[in-house]
Amino acid sequence: MPANPKYLTRSPLQRLAKITAGFIGGYLVTQTFHMAMALWWDLGNMVMTLRFGGFVLWAVLMILAFLAKNGWKVWGLYLLISLFFYLLIFLGKTTDTFL
Amino acid sequence: MSNRVYNIMFHTHTISGIIISAALYVIFFTGSISFLRDEINAWERNEPINKDYFATADYDAALKSLEGERSLYGRDISFTHRYFERRVFTSISQSKDTSLQKESKPTGRRGNFMYMDLETNEQKDYEATYSMGEFFYRLHFFAQLNFFGRSGYFLSGLVAFFFLFAVVTGVIVQWKKIVPSFYVFRPKAKWKAIWTDAHVALGIIGLPYQFMFAVTGAYLIIGYTVMLPPVQSLLFDGDAEKLQSTMAYGEPPKFSFVGERLEYPVKMGPFIAETRKKWPELELNTLQIFNYGDKGMHVQLGGSPSFQDRLLGSGYLIFRASDGKLVYQKDPYNDISYVEGATDILRRLHYGDFGGYGMKLIYFILGIVTCFVILSGVMIWLVARDRKAVSECKRNFNSWLVRIYLAICLSLYPMTAILFVLVKLFADDFGDGRRDFIYQVFFWGWLVLSTLFTLRRDNYFTNKACLILGSLFGLMVPISNGLVTGNWPWISFGQGYYQIFVVDIFWTVLSLTTFITVFRLKRKKTSPIRTVPAPE
Repeated sequence: MPANPKYLTRSPLQRLAKITAGFIGGYLVTQTFHMAMALWWDLGNMVMTLRFGGFVLWAVLMILAFLAKNGWKVWGLYLLISLFFYLLIFLGKTTDTFL
Repeated sequence: MSNRVYNIMFHTHTISGIIISAALYVIFFTGSISFLRDEINAWERNEPINKDYFATADYDAALKSLEGERSLYGRDISFTHRYFERRVFTSISQSKDTSLQKESKPTGRRGNFMYMDLETNEQKDYEATYSMGEFFYRLHFFAQLNFFGRSGYFLSGLVAFFFLFAVVTGVIVQWKKIVPSFYVFRPKAKWKAIWTDAHVALGIIGLPYQFMFAVTGAYLIIGYTVMLPPVQSLLFDGDAEKLQSTMAYGEPPKFSFVGERLEYPVKMGPFIAETRKKWPELELNTLQIFNYGDKGMHVQLGGSPSFQDRLLGSGYLIFRASDGKLVYQKDPYNDISYVEGATDILRRLHYGDFGGYGMKLIYFILGIVTCFVILSGVMIWLVARDRKAVSECKRNFNSWLVRIYLAICLSLYPMTAILFVLVKLFADDFGDGRRDFIYQVFFWGWLVLSTLFTLRRDNYFTNKACLILGSLFGLMVPISNGLVTGNWPWISFGQGYYQIFVVDIFWTVLSLTTFITVFRLKRKKTSPIRTVPAPE
């Protein structure tokens, strides 16, 4: 039988929030995470890993977004994480830690 | 696992699965056919190939025949044997001699690249060398849907990504009872139970394979275009070349053009002999010439170890033509970087080219099993919604949707067999029209078959008719080949034309298998599709 709707998100706005948080927010986290990792790891290796491993992380982040109770909170969390990694990237770039 | 988690996972698995199902089926079906890509091309063109074809070819004759059409002086020329076919990818650059650049015509009909048969030195362009192997290979990633830029590639990549999502959520759904439900099979039960048991058991058997294909497939088709633009703009200030250089490995140095001609012609044979002496087990697949005929001329010979020796890595030797000295090398057996290793293993895993025909057979069976998992998932979706509580209108929509899906997916099998037979019988000397012929026959035929099956409104009939048609035309594949070329399976086997033999035997075994299946099919009285009354 189909899944019990009792447990599913009924508000269309929440659904939209979760889908976009998982798809777009998850993508942002995947990207910024891998780029920030390059601060400690070889840049070429990181880029290569992102090309295949990135999809796994992205899919997991999408699943997590669906499991959350509030989609907007996921958006907030993913944005915060991305921002944190972005700061690291920014610092790394200005201090020339890359390459 | 709480009920909440279970139900959410169940729902996301269902929705992502039903959205990608038909597209994913096409990807897996055509991908499974494409494991025999090179064999299909050899069969279609009736061009058997020797084991050491590339290493034993006469390049001096090949270059001479290229020279007949243009002056080769100062050009870079490369022969690449990416696919195990007689026709080798050949590219020729502009001459670096500025006085010659003016007289050479702009990219002509043959362009800067072509395919060259190194036995006959016949040159063909892409259109004339288009083949069924290429067709199925490209249909596998929806190249024919590249209407807007690379929309087809992008679509197939997204399907692969959502397939990954569906695989992971599917495992989570089954997680709690994964072992007991693996052993459950109730062929006498209701349809819902049969589809579920089959979906779960085969899904678990194929799980590592499917996960691997989801990841490597997404990597191969959209790994670059979807994953790297942010990296390029953020870390490399939009410089694509800089980004690529971080992932490059084993690049040869640049050899400059001197501008003085060599006094005597250079033979390729000694370079090949020296490379084979140095690495006897290496399978040569590239021959590159820099600055042909110039004092700065260099010859590069590259290859990869056979899969029996090693899965990763490739290497090459570069000789200076003027004195035949080895000037640069990349060892294929040592020092494989992370990037090179990852690139090679992802490709090998996806292509299944690391264990001969036995491995390809396993890959093919698992590919077809995945097709079945996809369709049984669609059937679960339908049967689970075929209840009194669901409105008549919705149930009607559902059964129409599944009818169309099944008609599209199942008619792929007979259509493939029909294409093989028709191409062999009628397209032998089609030259440039090959692609059009393949497109017309396949896509129109596919449309007609799926429309007819959809209108017949009987999934049992669709299934049975597709199997019968597929078996009949499949059996005609070796017959048509025998009639047209005289290479009947026993002859091609005796002559050692293994690629041609493999295709004939593949179709024979496949057709017989589906034929036996047809005879064992029995219509179940409780067929769920029939419970929905057809609108009058």
